Amino acid sequence: MKSLLRLIPFVRPYKWRILSGYLTFFIARFFEISTYYLVAMGIDNINALIKDEPLKYSLGQVAAAIVLCVTMRFVFVVHARREIRRVGIQVSYDLRQKLYASVQSQGPDFFARMGVGDIMTRAIQDISLIQRLIAFGSIQVVIMIYAPAYALTFMTAKSPSLTLLILPLLPLIFIYAWWMAKAMSVTSRDVQDRLSDLGVHVQENLGGIRTVQAQAQEDNEIQRFWRTNNAYGEAFYQQSRIQSLMGAWMPFFASAAQLVIVVYGGMRVLDGQLSVGDLVFFLSCLNMLLQPIRMAGMFVTLVQRAAVGTRRLHEIFDAEPEIKDEPTHDTPEVIRGEFELRHLTYTYPRAEEPVLQDINLHIEAGEMIGIVGRVGSGKSTLLKQFTRMVNTNRGQLFLDGHDVCDYPLAQLRMQIAQVLQDPFLFGEPLRNNISYDEPERHLEVIWDSAEAAALRDTIMEFPAQMETIVGERGVTLSGGQKQRTTLARGLIRNSPVLILDDCFSSVDTETEEHILNRLKTMRKKMTTILVSHRVSTLRHADRIIVMDEGRIVELGSHEELLKQNGIYAALERIQTQGGDPKEGLEELTLTPA
Amino acid sequence: MSEAQSQKRDHSMFDAELSGAVLNMQLLGRILRWLKPYRPVLFLSGILILVSSTVAVLMEIVISRVLVDYIITGSADSNMPDLGMIALTKWIEVQFETMPIYAAGILFAALMVVFSVTGHLHRLTLVGSIVKALRDLRQDLFSHLETRPFSFYDKVPIGRIMTRVTNDVEALYEMLRGMGSLIGEFVPFFVALTIMLSSSVELTLVLLLLVPIVGMTTFFFRRASREVFRLVRNSVSALNQNLQENLSGMQVVQLSERQERNLDVYTQINKSNRRYEFRSINISTLYGAFNDSLASVGLGVIIWYGGGQVVQDQMSLGGVILFTRFMNMLFTPVVMLGEQLNVLFRAMASGERIFQALDWDEQIHEPENPVTLPERLEGKVEFRHLNFGYLPGSPILKDVSLTVPPGEKLAIVGPTGSGKSTMIRLLGRFYDFGRGMIFLDDVDLNDLRSRDVRKRIGVVLQDFHIFSGTVLDNIILGNPDITRERAIEAAKTVNADGFIQRLPQGYDTPLVERGSNLSQGQRQLLAFARVLAADPEILILDEATASIDTETELLIQDGLRKLTEGRTSILIAHRLQTIQEADKILVLHHGVVREYGTHDELIAQKGLYYTLHELQFQDVSIDDEGNPEVEIEL
Repeated sequence: MKSLLRLIPFVRPYKWRILSGYLTFFIARFFEISTYYLVAMGIDNINALIKDEPLKYSLGQVAAAIVLCVTMRFVFVVHARREIRRVGIQVSYDLRQKLYASVQSQGPDFFARMGVGDIMTRAIQDISLIQRLIAFGSIQVVIMIYAPAYALTFMTAKSPSLTLLILPLLPLIFIYAWWMAKAMSVTSRDVQDRLSDLGVHVQENLGGIRTVQAQAQEDNEIQRFWRTNNAYGEAFYQQSRIQSLMGAWMPFFASAAQLVIVVYGGMRVLDGQLSVGDLVFFLSCLNMLLQPIRMAGMFVTLVQRAAVGTRRLHEIFDAEPEIKDEPTHDTPEVIRGEFELRHLTYTYPRAEEPVLQDINLHIEAGEMIGIVGRVGSGKSTLLKQFTRMVNTNRGQLFLDGHDVCDYPLAQLRMQIAQVLQDPFLFGEPLRNNISYDEPERHLEVIWDSAEAAALRDTIMEFPAQMETIVGERGVTLSGGQKQRTTLARGLIRNSPVLILDDCFSSVDTETEEHILNRLKTMRKKMTTILVSHRVSTLRHADRIIVMDEGRIVELGSHEELLKQNGIYAALERIQTQGGDPKEGLEELTLTPA
Repeated sequence: MSEAQSQKRDHSMFDAELSGAVLNMQLLGRILRWLKPYRPVLFLSGILILVSSTVAVLMEIVISRVLVDYIITGSADSNMPDLGMIALTKWIEVQFETMPIYAAGILFAALMVVFSVTGHLHRLTLVGSIVKALRDLRQDLFSHLETRPFSFYDKVPIGRIMTRVTNDVEALYEMLRGMGSLIGEFVPFFVALTIMLSSSVELTLVLLLLVPIVGMTTFFFRRASREVFRLVRNSVSALNQNLQENLSGMQVVQLSERQERNLDVYTQINKSNRRYEFRSINISTLYGAFNDSLASVGLGVIIWYGGGQVVQDQMSLGGVILFTRFMNMLFTPVVMLGEQLNVLFRAMASGERIFQALDWDEQIHEPENPVTLPERLEGKVEFRHLNFGYLPGSPILKDVSLTVPPGEKLAIVGPTGSGKSTMIRLLGRFYDFGRGMIFLDDVDLNDLRSRDVRKRIGVVLQDFHIFSGTVLDNIILGNPDITRERAIEAAKTVNADGFIQRLPQGYDTPLVERGSNLSQGQRQLLAFARVLAADPEILILDEATASIDTETELLIQDGLRKLTEGRTSILIAHRLQTIQEADKILVLHHGVVREYGTHDELIAQKGLYYTLHELQFQDVSIDDEGNPEVEIEL
């Protein structure tokens, strides 16, 4: 519940609007109860008419006053609700802006902890819960205070003794409502969980329908689904049961209070201490008195869920960007691309073992470096150091003689182009995908980079050419085409340093040769670092690093490494000559690491 | 169902938004069919609501007619109806020898109990039967979808189908429950209306004039809000799409320093969303408050007009009070009806989608008198002049003839679109094809039940699908014949044991689809273990092309070798190693067998196989002259 306090800064800018909303609500409520008061008065007047007693106001006057009150209430209620709901919309707008800005500054550790789906639920569900709390919940608070306050005041004025008789019923009802609300929030969570189980089950099953059918598992799966399906039905029924029980007890309590009014109030009317109108007025006030209690269940759920939502959102807002941008301003504005790795060691947050251990290496500006190693050997982590996509330790990596941590982050990432292993394309035209960092580039330049990535002919075949929309909602490209598109995205920047993370895996060797040869002439004096499993790719590099368990185990040119007859040489033999996999495995594990 | 018929199906229909704007009675009738088994309970529920709402009206009569007219003003003899409540009160007076006011209290208390109990029971029975009916409907829908053939899933996106089982069934619940409540509101509406009419026709008619106003505002509100709501929905989904894409490509965003630019784009969408939200609340607050107020205006009418009637002795004071108490019963159902219309229209569209799926009768042809296969197959596979195409006029396989003797390994290679995958899909009986084309141990595949075929043929597809459950569950896959020991044994044989042991809980480590904790290579090894544990007589494998490090690659090669040992195997191969180890190699191009023989023979031929070998068997397109060309997959 405490987490709701953290919403205060978001609501504060709109405090006047909220105040105006609450105030108009207060006025609206006054007109509401006045309506009931006037109805009671009208009834007494009719009674007086029957008895031929003189009237203070005619029935027409009373009726006109009722319509006036109703109209006033309408005007004020509309204003009040609009004010409060606007605040709800404003706050959710602000929360979204903040969320978007916060996630953009986060590093890989954050995204490892929080998946895309997780963040999306927070952005969609949690923000809408808070919006609902403000738009509806806060109005309910007002009703909870105003309605009983007005009702009790007016009732006491009419008949203190009858009010006193009804009063003891209220806490009873309230306790019951509270208790029910709690039970409800448990079951409603249960229903939510079961429903999401159901969704996951269906998605997973249909996603793997070919496997299910290929293994003749349909009957099994249908039976398995029955359990999930039935569990949801049961949970749902339980929730409805509690809801219905509440729906049954509430009017029962209310009727009990009505019973008091009927019997005791009726006797007072017979005594002549109360009028018939008073009796009707009491019955109307009872409704107002019970209104907040009826809403208690909904309110408690709303508050609880919004509190959880607020907490979950703040888990994002509170996350410190792990990569600090603290430039010293004495670094060169344009980098040359010379790297010095000094005892570079890196451990991921919350991990025990370091991924990179004591790496020492000097990369000349203009050199082409190849990196090879098995999955988990630390290649990708090493690449992330250069653009500081991880929090590189101070004093371990130098670029043109300056610690990389001294450069502005933006500069590092603008001047070092990195092509990732996983070819990610945005649902936009190819042109924007290739020229992603700078959408306003000249079309000629974009075509040139497509050409360099051996993509020109492919794009020419699309009817919309560079305007072809790709991604989920557009044209589906093959794996190789995707890789070449992301490659073009890296090449177009013509940056002093280019890093290619295993981005030829789906490109056939002939095309790859073609691209690499072009690359070598294009980037003659510029630094290039490329990761690959293929010896045929690596041999283009000036020097090759073989990595294993976070260390450099071999280093040298293609020829030198072959001569060393170590892991690299073994890889070369296996890849070019084939042979028994068992022997290959032995060869790889027997080589000194 | 004939093949030609299946070609005529328009699968894009499945993707299209259905209109659903009309009230389709036939559709409604179909939905009710699932409620049929629960008819007695629903009938009981109907009686309960009738009792409950009548009692609610009686309680109001006790207050107005009994208390005010009979006890207080002593005008019980007025010609207004009291449904026997006054007589009942008098009877209680006599029976319990008590004062009229207490008698009224006792009556009121009794009614109160009946009202609460019947109301609760009504809701329980109603919700209970709806929940059960929809559970059954969902189960039927799922079972139906589960048995649709590959050809269906080839053309219809999974997301579209999924929402039918989840969201669309939910929408039906909303509708049925809404209709139930609507009945619950309309019963007292009519009871109250009857009493009001018999009390004062004129006053009732005056009040009823207000009802069309509510109806009209509802109509105008719906019209005014439709466009705004649509804009809100669109802007919300634009917001989510933008955020989702930005999150998925965050590394690219950060590496391209696009954060500020992207935030600007997002802010624009966010702003327009805010603008539409503002517009929508302007409309909805007006509508909500207007409807509330109208009932209160009715109160003024009752006082003014009813007062006159009382003076003319046409109504009693209690009658006027009764009218004021009935106002809500008159208005709530009308307002609710307006709200329910939205739900109803939405549900119609959902119902249409559900039944479209249920009516989709596309299926694999099953033989009338299936041949029973022997306990253990020899494992001979024969293709005899196999011709096949998914669409008429565009054949994928042309006159393919080939025999794979028991225990032999056949590697199929060929450029993209050559028909490799189709060949193995047909062998798995995932599509319908003509008689006399494919034989398993000399039995026509068309004479076998598809399920029997699949039990004998183990299939390893390119994408290994993980079902939520432990590693062991994923190997066993619900097959009761596979013991834990056998599963582990299989994993050991195909080199999967090593990495499984290194997982936090070994074989009992839970796995999740997507964001999975396994690498591509590990998934492939697990797929091998799954097939080996099932021990099929024939193996079909579509080799994955993902980038895998050399060491894992070697483990896979070794695992595959053990898997295929002594087993008839047909492999779509991309790796030189796999191809070289095959007994025979089949080179397909444009659905025609181009070359067939051993590796050395084919290399010597210097034909298509030679070219593919040069290209390292990547998935590339090759034109008729045998030159590689750039592929487009649309």
